[in-house]
Amino acid sequence: MPGEPGGKMRMRVSTSLSVAGYAMALLPLAAPALAHSGEAGAGGFISGFQHPLLGPDHIVAMVAVGLWGAFLGAPAIWLLPVVFPLVMAAGGVLGILSVPIMGVETGIAVSATVLGLMVALAARPALWIAAVLVAAFAIFHGYAHGKELPAGAGAVAFSAGFVIATGLLHLCGVAFGLIASWPAGRIAVRAAGAVIALVGAAYLAGMA
Amino acid sequence: MTGWMILGIADMLAPTHVLAIVPLGLLAGRDPWRWALLAFFIVGLTAGSLAIAAAVRETPAALVLLVIAATAGLTVATAWQPPSVATGLLALAGGMALALNTPPQATIIGGAVIAQISGIIAAMSALALVIALGSRARAPWQRVGLRIAGSWAAASAILVLALRLAR
Repeated sequence: MPGEPGGKMRMRVSTSLSVAGYAMALLPLAAPALAHSGEAGAGGFISGFQHPLLGPDHIVAMVAVGLWGAFLGAPAIWLLPVVFPLVMAAGGVLGILSVPIMGVETGIAVSATVLGLMVALAARPALWIAAVLVAAFAIFHGYAHGKELPAGAGAVAFSAGFVIATGLLHLCGVAFGLIASWPAGRIAVRAAGAVIALVGAAYLAGMA
Repeated sequence: MTGWMILGIADMLAPTHVLAIVPLGLLAGRDPWRWALLAFFIVGLTAGSLAIAAAVRETPAALVLLVIAATAGLTVATAWQPPSVATGLLALAGGMALALNTPPQATIIGGAVIAQISGIIAAMSALALVIALGSRARAPWQRVGLRIAGSWAAASAILVLALRLAR
């Protein structure tokens, strides 16, 4: 609201974002009621939406991007969810073109480990360093999705589905990361980062 | 008659079309001449429909729509405000491509006309709705939300464009 003290404004925004984030987190649990399932429409969107959710390493890395963005504060908090899908699309194009990239799955696991550690250690590098790091990891995630993009009528719905799912995971991370405004919340966020790093490490070690 | 109307609306609101309409509407929503841009879109839709009626041959309309979606989405994501003329031309091209990418599937002329008119109204309404929503975004978090939506649309369009060009 115009003229409102900055503190109340941030609280209102963070509350709205938190509510939205928690609501969006429940979306993947919704059982779709489909009279007709088909790749060209709702079926393709659902398949694409589920794609990032089928890999725990994808999920934790995407949540970590949002967490870290919230931790770093403005402008990272909104810059990362805006830029990440675009860089991920670039990675997806590489996957579609079958450009050989070694160690994609390893890169995804490393992304979860590194991003989780950034949050756990409360790392606050310069914005450009954070952006480069996140962009590099976005290439790997995009490549993995691009390789599995279906040809034909379902491509649009599928790509929209997985881009939106990825974005919503970011927003979940942002929503959770906003609790770092409070001392106890800060501990919870860093603990979440540690868990994410452990999940990534488990994938690297071949234990998951 | 209802069947042809539903067919026309469903064809016009296919995923590729919605992918183009949303970022185009968000881009137009930020422009002070937004309702004039809607008029450009309608002109494009009409021109494209007339071309269809004149039995124009197959066009790369689907690819054009993806390019428009990517361009509009990227512009919204970067929060850059292009000149109204540029956005108008994009809306005109978008309308035309939408109509050209929606050849009537009806086997009778009457049904085809009903389907086409229904589709035009659906596309017009969808764009108007997105323009209205986009123009109401005033709070900083709402503007960020629009940028994120533009980013998502651009990313999806880029991926599908790459897929169609590569395969």
